[in-house]
Amino acid sequence: MNAPDRYERFVVPEGTKKVSYERDTKIINAASFIIEREEHTIGNIVRMQLHLDENVLFAGYKLPHPLQYKIIIRIHTTSQSSPMQAYNLAINDLDKELDHLRSAFEDEIANYSSTREY
Amino acid sequence: MEERSYQRKPVVKIREMKDDYMKFELRNTDASVANALRRVMIAEVPTVAIDLVEIEVNSSVLNDEFIAHRLGLIPLTSERAMSMRFSRDCDACDGDGQCEYCSVEFHLRAKCVVDQTLDVTSKDLLSSDHTVVPVDFNEIAGDETSEQKGVMIVKLRRGQELRLRAIARKGIGKDHAKWSPAATVTFMYEPEININEDMMARLSLEDKQSIVESSPTKVFDIDPTTQQVVVVDAEAYTYDDEVIKKLESMGKTGLIDIKAKEDSFIFTVETTGAVKASQLVLNAIEILKQKLDAVRLSDDTVEADDQFGELGAHMRGG
Repeated sequence: MNAPDRYERFVVPEGTKKVSYERDTKIINAASFIIEREEHTIGNIVRMQLHLDENVLFAGYKLPHPLQYKIIIRIHTTSQSSPMQAYNLAINDLDKELDHLRSAFEDEIANYSSTREY
Repeated sequence: MEERSYQRKPVVKIREMKDDYMKFELRNTDASVANALRRVMIAEVPTVAIDLVEIEVNSSVLNDEFIAHRLGLIPLTSERAMSMRFSRDCDACDGDGQCEYCSVEFHLRAKCVVDQTLDVTSKDLLSSDHTVVPVDFNEIAGDETSEQKGVMIVKLRRGQELRLRAIARKGIGKDHAKWSPAATVTFMYEPEININEDMMARLSLEDKQSIVESSPTKVFDIDPTTQQVVVVDAEAYTYDDEVIKKLESMGKTGLIDIKAKEDSFIFTVETTGAVKASQLVLNAIEILKQKLDAVRLSDDTVEADDQFGELGAHMRGG
């Protein structure tokens, strides 16, 4: 009866920003990124990609509540970088990785189809 | 500032590929990417499914909403779904079936006039768009001979009738499972099994036999010529630890070592027939890229980072 609409889980409401940025006031080079209408899929890949960055001292994400359709990614970096820089780098690297994966997959499909009568 | 990058270069190897099934190896990436792909394939790759049903006549034994639900679950060919619009984003129309960008109209008319039961199936659904039709399972199975009639909707007896109009729309599995193109998507870590040959050589044949038999799945066997325990199918291992426990109870800990390769995955993808299995994976990669693109920082957010002051500006190359 009072259940939220199903689309609430993935449609960003009008007037709301997809990503907002909140700097930590107490620790230098620490910040949180609040991402609306995303969940573990994005949270986990971004977090793991951030862990590869040696300038990232801490990276974690949380889904605060199953009915709050947002995730929070928290990043703490060394002075060699900044949370925003690390975040952008992680997304760019993941994007490039997926580009590579797509072409590798397409090549492999062509390769597989040509070796077999399919 | 030097260009930093921690990009990986994943490697793919296809083991088996059919229209609605595929098995492949994915290497040189981590579990987060493998799991993201799996999650996107199940819940975020769009398909087309019946979403709105107007029933004109229904004198069948099933009530209207029961039939509407069954219609929704029928897989429709959805190669076009990636380029279609969600009806909520479609400005050109109100998603009433007349709009070529976001919806497809179906009609169903069936009346039983004989004493024999009439089967109403997905084959009786007439589409207004030849690219979006109920999936033909005979075609997928590759056998034209069998007289399989499609997905059963309802059975009618003499005098009963069903007449309706249905509108199919683009959607994703997150919204409702009827839109999920995936029947199953799973991945497993590739196991790496090492047998300590020296220790094994010192065992009696009965001991070897009991080790082989301790595994619930057929992972090990005894080589008939050398009488040694060998791995016959590493991937049959279900990470059940039974062999390890058996060795511990025999006091032979370390004789067999089993590790999960953390960067190597074996995927199994099965589709409902809405899209081909290979296309499902490619669509998932595309959707994941779009999702990443959506979470990029906007320019006005970057400006707000000025609070970081000189150091931040310096590091950004300003």
